[in-house]
Amino acid sequence: MDKELFTIQPAAPEPIYRQIMEQLRRLIASGQVKSGEALPSVREVAGHHAVNPMTVSRAYGLLEAEGLLERQRGKGMVVAATRKRPQSHDQRLDHLEPRLRELARQARELDLPAKQVIDRLRSLIEEDEE
Amino acid sequence: MQAALSSRTSQQDTDSPVHCRDIYKSYDGITVLSGVNLDIPTGAVLGLIGRNGAGKSTLIRILLGLSMPGRGEAYVFGERALYMTDASKTRLAFVPQQPDALGWMRIGDMLDFIGTFYPRWDDEYARNTLLRSGLSSDKQLAKLSPGERQRVALIRALAVNPELLVLDEPASALDPVARRELLREIALRAGESGTTVLFSTHIVSDLERVASHVAFLHQGRLLFNTSMDDLKETHIRVHVPAATMQRVEGKLPGELSRRYRHDGSASLVLARLPDTDWPEIARQPDARMDVLGLEDLFVEVTE
Repeated sequence: MDKELFTIQPAAPEPIYRQIMEQLRRLIASGQVKSGEALPSVREVAGHHAVNPMTVSRAYGLLEAEGLLERQRGKGMVVAATRKRPQSHDQRLDHLEPRLRELARQARELDLPAKQVIDRLRSLIEEDEE
Repeated sequence: MQAALSSRTSQQDTDSPVHCRDIYKSYDGITVLSGVNLDIPTGAVLGLIGRNGAGKSTLIRILLGLSMPGRGEAYVFGERALYMTDASKTRLAFVPQQPDALGWMRIGDMLDFIGTFYPRWDDEYARNTLLRSGLSSDKQLAKLSPGERQRVALIRALAVNPELLVLDEPASALDPVARRELLREIALRAGESGTTVLFSTHIVSDLERVASHVAFLHQGRLLFNTSMDDLKETHIRVHVPAATMQRVEGKLPGELSRRYRHDGSASLVLARLPDTDWPEIARQPDARMDVLGLEDLFVEVTE
């Protein structure tokens, strides 16, 4: 896995260690990062994004405690072998549920029709795929 | 003479490279610091934030023994900062806001000269970084632009391989690329060599990248002094409708700021202890919670 796969937004209200954890969870759930695959080292991630290495190791450590990652001798941190195949669509959609709820709330506050929001969301998702 | 008095009795029971107790300072009758306590653990990167004129530089100078507090005492490596031994001075590096020392020297000569004072001086780092920055070692310091001055001062500070690195507004004159490079250097040194870093800034996003701890200096006091992650996870803004606000008597638990709007509704900034629930008012069905970035939080509580 490449260190650039992480997107870190320092100014976001979500602490950086949580941003890393959530992104890894999503990448692993979708199978984009597979079991047994090595993660970039703490130093690589911290150096590339100019963030504190302790933040990165905290994120890795917490995911290790959850069993999603495991430490392998000589290889560093790898995605745990228990994750055999990518999660189902429904399971993956669950990852987005809190953010979708928040989006829905904000759309209602702005009094925007669902169709417009959905169309815009669709074009954003497809734009990124190109 | 005074130095001889700073015997064992004045040493403190703490492993922190820097700490201070109950610091007061005023200039011309105006109070700048009123009761500041600070303790920076080894290997921490503490971002000291505050508005212009909040007293950040004054606090830093007092912490390093460069300025005398009106009351209270600062300690560096367990010694009273004002009477620090030469041995301790070689373990720290300080970059002031406007580095202007030794202006008559050429860059290369200055680095050679400074290097002789520090046992852990890394000449190779100094030379290579200077080369990469595109500055000629023959150039006289006084003739550099403020940004170049700052870069040279940072090279000098980092080549010392300090155990304690203190930077006063280090990024203010740097361009975005140089700033990112500096942040990377700070982050990696703290993480790998256990360097303790104290830096002041008013650029909040710099702080959010590398700081492990954050302290807000406001009206002479430290408003927060906590780990960065805790700060983000324990503060929230809540919009409370007028009807609910009417039932509120006095200050709420954990309330840091309250602003009423013309319709009687209010926006509150609330704090909670780590791993506890938000105060009751935030959990009312008609209240709306908004997560707060550091910058928002800073603006909300200092306005």
